[in-house]
Amino acid sequence: MDVATLTASLQLAAPEVMLAVGAMALLMFGVFAGDRAAMLVNAAATLLVLAAGAAALFYVPADGGEAFSGSFVVDPLATYAKVLIAAMAAAALVLSSTYLQNEKLAKCEYPVLVVLAVLGMMMMVSSRDLIALYIGIELQSLALYVLAAFNRDSLRASEAGLKYFVLGALSSGLLLYGASLIYGFAGSTQFTEIAIASGEPSIGLIFGLVFLLSGLAFKISAAPFHMWTPDVYEGAPTPVTALFAAAPKLAAIVLIARTLFEPFPVLSDEWRQVLMAISALSMGVGAFGALAQTNIKRLMAYSSIANMGFALVPLCAGTLKGVEGMLIYMTIYVVTTTGIFACILAMRRREGMVEEISDLAGLSKTHPGLATALTVLLFSIAGVPPLAGFFGKLYAFIPAIEAGLYWLAVFGFLMTVVAAFYYLRLIKLIWFDEAEQPLIAAPREANLIAAGSALVVFPILILPFAAGPGLELISYAAGSLF
Amino acid sequence: MYEAIVFSPLAGAVVAGLFRKPLGPKPAMYLTTALLFVSALLSLFALYDVAFRGHEVTLQLFTWFAVGDFSADWALRIDTLTAVMLVVVTGVSSLVHLYSIGYMDHDPDQARFFSYLSLFTFAMLMLVTSDNFMQLFFGWEGVGLASYLLIGFWYKKPSANAAAVKAFVTNRVGDFGFALGIMAIYFTFGSVEFDVVFDAIAANAPVTPFGAEAAVPARDAVVPFLNWNVNAIELSAVLLFIGAMGKSAQFFLHVWLPDAMEGPTPVSALIHAATMVTAGVFLVVRCSPIYEHAPYAAMFVTAIGAVTALYAATVGLAQNDIKRVIAYSTCSQLGYMFFAAGVGAYGAAMFHLFTHAFFKALLFLGSGAVIHALHDEQDMRKMGGVWKKMPWTWGLMIVGTLALTGVGIPGTPIGFAGFFSKDRIIEDAFLAGEAGLDVGMLAFWMGVIAAFLTSFYSWRLIFMTFHGTFKGPASDFDHAHDAPWVMRGPLVVLALGAVFAGVLFYGPFVGKGQEGFWRESVYVAYEDHGDAAATDHGAAVAHDVSETETEDAAAIDDAADALEGAAAPAAVDAAETDAAVPDAAHAVVADAAHAADGGPPRYVEHHVPDWVLWAPFWVTLAGFVFAVLFYGLREGVGAAIAARGGPLHSFLFNKWYFDEIYDFIFVRGARGLGDLFWKGGDQGTIDRFGPDGVAAATLLSGKRVAKSQTGYLYHYAFVMLIGVAAFATFLLFSARGG
Amino acid sequence: MNAFLLEYAPILIFLGIAGGLGVLFLLAAHLIAPGDPDPEKVSTYECGFNAFDDARMKFDVRFYLVAILFIIFDLEVAFLFPWALRLGEGGAFVFWSMMVFLGVLTIGFIYEWKKGALEWE
Repeated sequence: MDVATLTASLQLAAPEVMLAVGAMALLMFGVFAGDRAAMLVNAAATLLVLAAGAAALFYVPADGGEAFSGSFVVDPLATYAKVLIAAMAAAALVLSSTYLQNEKLAKCEYPVLVVLAVLGMMMMVSSRDLIALYIGIELQSLALYVLAAFNRDSLRASEAGLKYFVLGALSSGLLLYGASLIYGFAGSTQFTEIAIASGEPSIGLIFGLVFLLSGLAFKISAAPFHMWTPDVYEGAPTPVTALFAAAPKLAAIVLIARTLFEPFPVLSDEWRQVLMAISALSMGVGAFGALAQTNIKRLMAYSSIANMGFALVPLCAGTLKGVEGMLIYMTIYVVTTTGIFACILAMRRREGMVEEISDLAGLSKTHPGLATALTVLLFSIAGVPPLAGFFGKLYAFIPAIEAGLYWLAVFGFLMTVVAAFYYLRLIKLIWFDEAEQPLIAAPREANLIAAGSALVVFPILILPFAAGPGLELISYAAGSLF
Repeated sequence: MYEAIVFSPLAGAVVAGLFRKPLGPKPAMYLTTALLFVSALLSLFALYDVAFRGHEVTLQLFTWFAVGDFSADWALRIDTLTAVMLVVVTGVSSLVHLYSIGYMDHDPDQARFFSYLSLFTFAMLMLVTSDNFMQLFFGWEGVGLASYLLIGFWYKKPSANAAAVKAFVTNRVGDFGFALGIMAIYFTFGSVEFDVVFDAIAANAPVTPFGAEAAVPARDAVVPFLNWNVNAIELSAVLLFIGAMGKSAQFFLHVWLPDAMEGPTPVSALIHAATMVTAGVFLVVRCSPIYEHAPYAAMFVTAIGAVTALYAATVGLAQNDIKRVIAYSTCSQLGYMFFAAGVGAYGAAMFHLFTHAFFKALLFLGSGAVIHALHDEQDMRKMGGVWKKMPWTWGLMIVGTLALTGVGIPGTPIGFAGFFSKDRIIEDAFLAGEAGLDVGMLAFWMGVIAAFLTSFYSWRLIFMTFHGTFKGPASDFDHAHDAPWVMRGPLVVLALGAVFAGVLFYGPFVGKGQEGFWRESVYVAYEDHGDAAATDHGAAVAHDVSETETEDAAAIDDAADALEGAAAPAAVDAAETDAAVPDAAHAVVADAAHAADGGPPRYVEHHVPDWVLWAPFWVTLAGFVFAVLFYGLREGVGAAIAARGGPLHSFLFNKWYFDEIYDFIFVRGARGLGDLFWKGGDQGTIDRFGPDGVAAATLLSGKRVAKSQTGYLYHYAFVMLIGVAAFATFLLFSARGG
Repeated sequence: MNAFLLEYAPILIFLGIAGGLGVLFLLAAHLIAPGDPDPEKVSTYECGFNAFDDARMKFDVRFYLVAILFIIFDLEVAFLFPWALRLGEGGAFVFWSMMVFLGVLTIGFIYEWKKGALEWE
């Protein structure tokens, strides 16, 4: 490899390079300045992540092509995902500052770990090679394991981190086993090579695909690989949960799309069946599991399981419109879920954070603005028509219906109905029940993000300006897989 | 002009109803009343213009709907029949509006009351001006709605609500029949226009009922009903009459009318005496072409009317509530009208409707004045002796009673309104019976007995209310006084009607002028020069033929010619359908033949034997004498009889136990059935396995799923591995590799 | 079995030999060694002392920390060997690649040092 290609590759990977170098610099700064500088590091990390997103958007050409001998790719899909990941991670970082200070968790490692996780995610969405894929996943996962257990004095958080780590290791093992099978039967780790080799699929390749898919499904917490989700969401500090719920999911599902569509177009009948089963199971588990929950974070865990099931529905179609539908759904989902977590983080009492569903009672009287934002977000995620969530579900189900997957779409509709129950229950608590204890004033950034995402999912305000170009953009991004 | 008559009450109702807050009660009252008076004056002119100058007209307003072949218009069909009804409706309504200004003086909700009253008037006018069955049905339901609203006007009284619901539900039974009747007509004739249907029947034109292979003459058309093939006209007639029974409170469906007295008294006067309850009579007369050719249905009408006349009169004997007595009297008088219509004496029916509106409204409003003066006391046992305190009311009530009981001297034009109309009905029934219609003779006897009872209970009412000693709280008696002029004025006007309406309108309605008066609006079969006329409505033909012959020689010849041609085939027809048409047919054929032979014309008034003419007079007198004996001379005789009356009194007092029987069969039966469906069907089956079951199952699954989240790491890992193994196995066996 | 996988056949053979050899030694010890146990022979032997404690005792977590930190540098050395062999052929690119790698590790090292992970107390 000569200097010219190296330089070209590094240019295409500019956001990742920035994050890597920045993370190390921040680590050094933080460790020498001590935890007093934690908020400074946090702010710097936020800027760094945003800068990386900006670099992906403006500096790197959207259709930059391959780098590092084909292991790394910059295409519209990767760019779209990177920008969204950067935005969501930055939001999570912003949300964390007040929380960490209140909980006495303000340490400079926290933002560095987030930056490293973002680096991993960006590598995931750009990887076109099983090894690069694995490195991206592990970089992201290791950072997240630590983040989950970040409040190490809390038994729950430690338990959450440990569970996440052990099961994550298991899933990594599955993924690696699948990768080695694929490598063994295809003769290469590069997606383009595998695509050529899978022209004559063998049992080994199919097995490898199943294992690989299982490992990846763990990352988006799709059933039956979802079991870690409720415990980790509940145990982890809330800003970490907010991060978990949005950016890594997007990265992993984009990775799944790329891993299925690029190397295995020939095996689409096989992986579509597995995907349908995963999707249906996720929708079912997510919808039913949340019914009996009393903790908001746990409820949101099941909600995210269900939503991943919905996001997989269009992918089951195996078409360009399917990828588009997935991207639309995920875009709306990450915005909504980040907004909901912002609302959760905005609710605080003198003695600590509010995490029980019953604590939402009477929110409309004490915090009408927050209550309105949360209501809009919940209606959206439940899929109530005028709001963005409805259009997300619409675009998610249409490709499946067009592909003839009626039972999946019908099942999805039914699960939407079941899921609507627990969202509406929250809304009922917010508007129709009496508050027991007042909440103390919410941090401003949480309010801002809650309001911002509520405005985004309120398509009456954004549709005329955003919907048309936004759909074109997503279509352009999805097109890079075909 | 006709638009103004019909729609000015609507305008009043809308304005008073929607703007009662900003307007306030007074303007609402005055506006609706003024509009009603405008409407009433125009109606009087309309009656003159249409009935006496012959300017009949049908105004098409606009099309209501047109679906395929089925269309209905909004139209104002103005003929004599309509004009008479217009005068009755707007006349009584305007007087009642005026009266209500005084009567509802202390009510907090006057605007609503006047809005309802005007709304009712509008619906009633739509009913009487309709030129098709759909608009008729609209008006029919509209008056039902207004009646419901007004009976339940004092909605805070549970009994008023119950009465309103009872009236509505009972009417629904009738309306169901009515709607079926309209459907049967559309089924047979393919139209709901009066003209189309009536012309087809009159001309015996070929019609093609739905599903029939070929066209058949209208009178022979057969439609399937409840698995039987029934004559279409008979079926339609009976079904329509069931609607009329509901609205006009005839036997079996009469139970709501007495309870409807829970409404304010002006409502009772307007709706439940003078107008709405007569809609059934109007319907039968309007559909006279149908009933003329439906002899069985006509017999049914006659029988129901006669039974109602007698039944209601018997019950009226034992009631103590002043309004209920008058309500049963209304019921009874409606029975007279129906059996008159049933025997083909449509003019007499309408005549009685016309006069009855005056004196019954007078009686109701008079009793309202008494009730008003005695602080809403309605029980006659707590009244008495108030005639000194309220001489005007007493006098006017006496006039109303004289009119109701039909006081007059037979054979002379001296008498109160009821004398002319009721006696005429009784005579017509007798004539029909004499002509061979058995049920007509039955109606005659029942009518005579009912006349006796009517006289008795009417005078009983007067004696119990106005004479004797006062039995209520003394303070009430001291404060009792005649109503103010705003209430007294309408009473006086109505009293004038009760005295003179009979003598003035006898000629046009049933006397010599009737031909020129009714013209096309009322149909009698003999006018039809068709072949089967003679067999169709025996009694009526006999009666009317003979009557016209005396009046117009040319008509005699015409009819004779017509019948000459008709008699022979008709006789054959009659022989063939001997089983179908009872004795009447023979009698008619004989009569017709007799007439055709050019035998001496028979003048009806003279043909009735003297004892028939005088029978009502004597029984009325007898009733009066009995009332004087029991209630007038000595107080307490009636009460003692009531106390020791035993089963007969209980039977009458409890209205023949109709309410109890209906309660047992229908109310409890329906409730039992409802409970069965509700508890067993809905809650036990649909809810249990439907919404509730699904919800419970969902919640249970939710708990299961949540419970499967054990918290143990090895469980989680196990689930993951199971998942991988399952997918791998599935693909191994399903995919192309396997 | 395609030609590509045949390239990995030596590894399979190596795995087989290694496993087989392990089993062989264990079996041989069982079969060939003379067995005459008595209590002294089967009791735990600990450098001439009597055993103080159960063998499954808890260790201080600091041992693990040191061990984990050691492994990182152990692996670093494992990378350095093949790199050193090929250093002459790749030129500056190969050299600087390892330098970047070492730089990253150094940053980690500085971090753990500064955090005090290397101090026992």
